[in-house]
Amino acid sequence: MRRLNYQYHMRLSFPLPVENHHFTLRCLPIVDERQQIENQNIYIEPSYIGGYDADSFGNRFIYGTVKNAHTQFLVKVTGTACVDAALPVPASELHKIGMFRYQTRLTGMGASLHKLREKCEKKKADQTMYEDKHLKRNSFEKEEWEQNDIVERACELMDVVYQNFEYEPGVTNVTTTAEEAAMLGRGVCQDYAHILLALCRMEWIPCRYVVGMMLGEGASHAWIEVCDGTNWIALDPTHNRMVDDTYIRISYGRDAQDCTINQGFFYGSREQVQEILVVVEEMKE
Amino acid sequence: MQVEELYRYSDTVNELLARYGVKFGIYKNGTFKEQLFPFDMIPRVIGKDEFAYLEKGLKQRVTALNEFIRDIYSEKKIIRDKVIPEEFVYMGSGYLSQCEGVMPPKGVYTHIAGIDLVQGKNGKWYILEDNLRIPSGASYPMIARDLCRKSSPATFEMNALEDNRNYAKLLRQTMDYVNTGGHTVILTPGRYNAAYFEHSYLAEQTGAHLVTGSELVVENDNLYFVDYSGKKERVGAVYRRISDEYLDPMNFNEESVIGIPHIYDIYRKGNVALINAPGNGVADDKGIYYFVPKMIQYYLGEEAILDNAPTYLPFYEEDMKYVLEHFDDLVLKDVAEAGGYGVVFGSGMTKEEKENFIHMLKANPRRFIAQEVIDFLDINIYENGHAVPRKADLRAFVLMAEEAMVWKSGLTRFSRNPDSFIVNSSQGGGFKDTWVMAE
Repeated sequence: MRRLNYQYHMRLSFPLPVENHHFTLRCLPIVDERQQIENQNIYIEPSYIGGYDADSFGNRFIYGTVKNAHTQFLVKVTGTACVDAALPVPASELHKIGMFRYQTRLTGMGASLHKLREKCEKKKADQTMYEDKHLKRNSFEKEEWEQNDIVERACELMDVVYQNFEYEPGVTNVTTTAEEAAMLGRGVCQDYAHILLALCRMEWIPCRYVVGMMLGEGASHAWIEVCDGTNWIALDPTHNRMVDDTYIRISYGRDAQDCTINQGFFYGSREQVQEILVVVEEMKE
Repeated sequence: MQVEELYRYSDTVNELLARYGVKFGIYKNGTFKEQLFPFDMIPRVIGKDEFAYLEKGLKQRVTALNEFIRDIYSEKKIIRDKVIPEEFVYMGSGYLSQCEGVMPPKGVYTHIAGIDLVQGKNGKWYILEDNLRIPSGASYPMIARDLCRKSSPATFEMNALEDNRNYAKLLRQTMDYVNTGGHTVILTPGRYNAAYFEHSYLAEQTGAHLVTGSELVVENDNLYFVDYSGKKERVGAVYRRISDEYLDPMNFNEESVIGIPHIYDIYRKGNVALINAPGNGVADDKGIYYFVPKMIQYYLGEEAILDNAPTYLPFYEEDMKYVLEHFDDLVLKDVAEAGGYGVVFGSGMTKEEKENFIHMLKANPRRFIAQEVIDFLDINIYENGHAVPRKADLRAFVLMAEEAMVWKSGLTRFSRNPDSFIVNSSQGGGFKDTWVMAE
């Protein structure tokens, strides 16, 4: 078990005062067997009225409204995550996670993704396995994946994404689709994750987007999980590796939009500047 | 019958309808136009026994649809048991992931359903489509009946028909049943909406407040109506006439300025009822329609009383084969469209259009359903002093409180074009009163 101290800071600055600022914040680490949270502290300024809830993906969130005019909105979440990599993240029954098999607006296929897909070498003897029959045939007849094959295949796809995509901040943004990123060939963790989701879904592998934090200092991170029929297995395409106990999970969804960390709706000028700082340090015993 | 007596008042009644604002607003080429919804004086008459049969079938159908929606957003047994392929659920436009695991007050998803039926020449009724999102139209026969009664009271003295003015009572009962404490409001996007007349009329008839999004606010996990003086009063039920997408910018389309931020968050907590329940469009997708008889069988263990129009799903290989072989005899519908759009007749296409369409169909078979063209029973309309036959359908309204209730009337829409089968008001059709006989 690894103990990680985390700090999540977000500051929104408005050049002109805004009011009736409604917000939803998905920035609280997930609590489950594998990831226990201790000493969590949440600080939000200015004062607001609101509460806590969990969305349909099970993500805990804070929501509320700042009524008075303000030019700055601060969020600070700190705590300790105890991550036990030996424990799995169990999936619910397969018929209940069907939504993770379908492309979304952000992961939908296009010419560049298809081209990338051609590079996904087919190692299996039975190559028909990889055909995306699901649009043409009754899903009841679809071939089911063998448990081990899923993770193996997802890793192959991850490798293709990693080899054909370059990390470069600032060339894409939160609305960039997998297809747009693939066409560009460059982007950040969100783009790596969206492209890998698109490729996995082409092969009928249920998979989800994960937002979280990783050891070090910087921005929030994103990766994916694939369902092997029993558990969710996490892969980080930005680093081309399996996710270990240096990662802290915050939220799940079909794509980045489901996991939006900060969503706001306010009255005033549209302009705003968002600054995010994430710090994760290993706690020494 | 004294029905003919009514015809004399055709102009008077239509003038009054225009004066009261019975209009249908449509957007065409980017501009908003209001057009009158022409009313025809000849009522459609449905006998007591015949309607009792329809009533039974409609209750059964809507009960099963409600069960289906509940199942889809929770256990998904119907998918597990392979009755409905999951792509028809997840790829349909009506499925909303935000509704997963959220149970609306008292488990009601289909508070107000508008079920479209047609009667074939052989007298047999078929279900044409289920409208569960925000079906409109009940106000038109309500006000038309009222005006007809005033014009010719004798007609209504001589004929024993069910009074349809109880719709307001049924609607109020439906809203009160799920109200979580507080006022009941009807939420309208405003006067530029196609059905604004209906919103204001139903508010008046049920005694609910007619409000826009800016008059409602979420605070401390409750919904409040803010009056002109700034005073807040709690709201327990919202009959919202705006679509899911625009309901709450924090949970759905973030660009929406007509919604109420966080209303969905408190709905999730059970602190307000939204009528109809968000996400219920998962059951009225044209692709799902095909499966409704199977749903009735699955959830209720009964055979469907009312049949669908014979429908083929090109998604299934054998159906695709049938559709290609009988293309000219079928009507093809785009599952994502509504209001009579995206409907094409195989026989009405040129060779080139047909080739293009078949190409599109093969590339994306899930997107279309194909149906046999039903030979509708014509009903007469009164035009220039003569009765002439036209195609017509019937939208029946089914409301759900403790159980499903069928309004003993309905909206009969007809095509004014003698050659057209499309009766939708957004396509310029007219309407009639629907008389359900009491004896």
